Amino acid sequence: MTAIQTEQLELEMGHFRLDNISASIPKGKITGIVGPNGSGKSTLLKVMTRLLDADKGEVQIEQRPLKDYSTKELARSVSMLPQSKSGLPELTVRELVAYGRSPHKRLFESRMKQEDEAIIDWALEITGTKRHENRMFHTLSGGEQQKARIAMALAQKTDILLLDEPTTYLDIAHQLDVMEMLQKINQEYNLTILMVLHDLQQAAHYCDYLIAMKRGKIVTTGTPEDILSREFFQHVYDIEAKVKFEDGYPVIIPSKTRRLGACDKMVIVTNTSKIKPGNAHLLIERFDRVGKVEEMEGFLGLEVLLTENTKEFEEVTVSTRWESKAAFQAWTRSPAFKEAHSHRGIPDYILDNKISFYEVKIVRNPLPAASGE
Amino acid sequence: MKPDARRKRRNWAWVLAPLLVIAVSLYGLAYGSVSISLNEIWQVFAGSSLPAHDRIIMDLRLPRVLIGLLVGACLASSGALLQGVMKNPLADPGIIGVSAGGGLAAIITMIVLPQFGYLLPVTAFAGSLCTAMLIYSLAWDKGASPLKIILAGVAINALLGAATNGFMVLFSDRVQSVLPWLSGGLSGKSWYELGFMSPYAIAGLLLSFLAIKPANVLLLGDESAKLLGQKVEVQRFFIILLSALLAGAAVSVAGLIGFVGLVVPHAVRLIIGEDYRYLLPLSMLTGAALVVFADTVARSWFDPIELPVGILLAALGAPFFLYLLKKRRMM
Repeated sequence: MTAIQTEQLELEMGHFRLDNISASIPKGKITGIVGPNGSGKSTLLKVMTRLLDADKGEVQIEQRPLKDYSTKELARSVSMLPQSKSGLPELTVRELVAYGRSPHKRLFESRMKQEDEAIIDWALEITGTKRHENRMFHTLSGGEQQKARIAMALAQKTDILLLDEPTTYLDIAHQLDVMEMLQKINQEYNLTILMVLHDLQQAAHYCDYLIAMKRGKIVTTGTPEDILSREFFQHVYDIEAKVKFEDGYPVIIPSKTRRLGACDKMVIVTNTSKIKPGNAHLLIERFDRVGKVEEMEGFLGLEVLLTENTKEFEEVTVSTRWESKAAFQAWTRSPAFKEAHSHRGIPDYILDNKISFYEVKIVRNPLPAASGE
Repeated sequence: MKPDARRKRRNWAWVLAPLLVIAVSLYGLAYGSVSISLNEIWQVFAGSSLPAHDRIIMDLRLPRVLIGLLVGACLASSGALLQGVMKNPLADPGIIGVSAGGGLAAIITMIVLPQFGYLLPVTAFAGSLCTAMLIYSLAWDKGASPLKIILAGVAINALLGAATNGFMVLFSDRVQSVLPWLSGGLSGKSWYELGFMSPYAIAGLLLSFLAIKPANVLLLGDESAKLLGQKVEVQRFFIILLSALLAGAAVSVAGLIGFVGLVVPHAVRLIIGEDYRYLLPLSMLTGAALVVFADTVARSWFDPIELPVGILLAALGAPFFLYLLKKRRMM
């Protein structure tokens, strides 16, 4: 059973966009949305709650199109905790939680019925904020504030709860506290929870399903065990990391990226080509296609320099850095290099080509520190 | 503020604010160029007083006190509602141009169409309303953000001020009748004015109680209010309309009285918090008491000169407002 279904959502809004988002959020489960900053995670939640309108596509909540819901009906079906809690007036915790009853009241009605009071009590108890009910919200710690806000969302008595980074800005103890509480509520009341999370370890541990987004697109979905892998980190976050599951809990170890600081000697290979004016970009494009140096063992980095000040010719210098001569030679023997160089002539826009090879000693801090520092 | 302290203050406020209104009303009835004792006031209502006192109370002071109460209540609740829905402490009918719109319409009526003087409250209200709509539409861009509304309002206020001055220069021969009205005052107002403002004022005040719940939810911010199933844009629009009605009702009789809508809700909020169930009625009562008190002072302390109450309120209100600003910053 799906609680929320999105079909080919498209949205373009300044820096944020959603690109062909089709996802289904399973009923009664905890689903996490993960991905780098700016990937459209919060935007997706906002579209699901109609805080933003999609340009194209459709959202269905409980098999009913989102656009058929009245504002109040939607607030009785889906509650959401926005990321920011700024701008709240001075309130006691109980007064804040009581706001959660608004969708169940008539427009001008503010008096709470006994039934409302019972639900407010329930929400306070289940989040463990009952003991703070008469304290001012502002005087609570960050974690308690977050629980009080969750209590308000629970007081809406919806079947679906969306949370936008509920644990950001909390210390680790409060993060786990909030996540444990959400898990408990999910299990006891079969509440469908969809949340944007940044901590992948927590996401993997507490979520039944993960949706990974990048640049407004869904990259992959599935159970944490299925999707969390070396490729996942390369693809979604552009980093190298190993993932191991220990007793169902993922251990994510980012691998050390090689940096210049790791060695004190290196090899620089420069390939300088003189080119007919106006054709330099062709060589750079060509290099892009055949390069593939990044994945080589012992590769430290590269620069491509293009001269702009001569009239008779342009000059492109591709300079690659290697840990050792052997590492460079290994590259020239690699299948990628061979494939690139096997069957092709020298393009006619190249006037001259020169390859230089240097062994280099790295001198750190060559300049004495400025006086007075 | 601790919740207990706040509850105590609210309880006290419920008792003290009505007492304050009664006390100030009696003060307004008793003082003036002729002092009348409480005992004599009682006799007037019992129908057994001197005819001279009967005339002073029934024809002059009673209607004036009643008008003062209504004007104060209207301005204070208009300010309280605007500050809430705009999420901006600067929102006040006098600052964002709603009063000025009513004022300009009233001046045009008085100067250009004096034969239609009896329509003054209608034109003032229409002026306030049109200004509110104009500001709203200028600020509209897929929803009207409170900041844009304030900025558009300040600009419109300046424009309306210029237009008002322009009229006064062009029709300088007829300005004399308009001047006291411009500086805001209740001088010479009687049953006739009370009769034509009270339907608008009372309707506005009663309607504003309906705004309590929506205004309270809007305090949480637009996003949260939407997530709680509120039609934020619609509610904000109607609350602004309501503030225009309240401001228009006050302007039509009392002219441009500033600072009541700004200072009263602020002061009340500092004492009892932001909850509109308390803020709105207590602001009404305090605003009513303030205007009657200031009006009585304006006509009795400087005898034989009668100061326009608007000038006195600005003189009292501006320093008080600055004091609030200073105090808030320290908190």
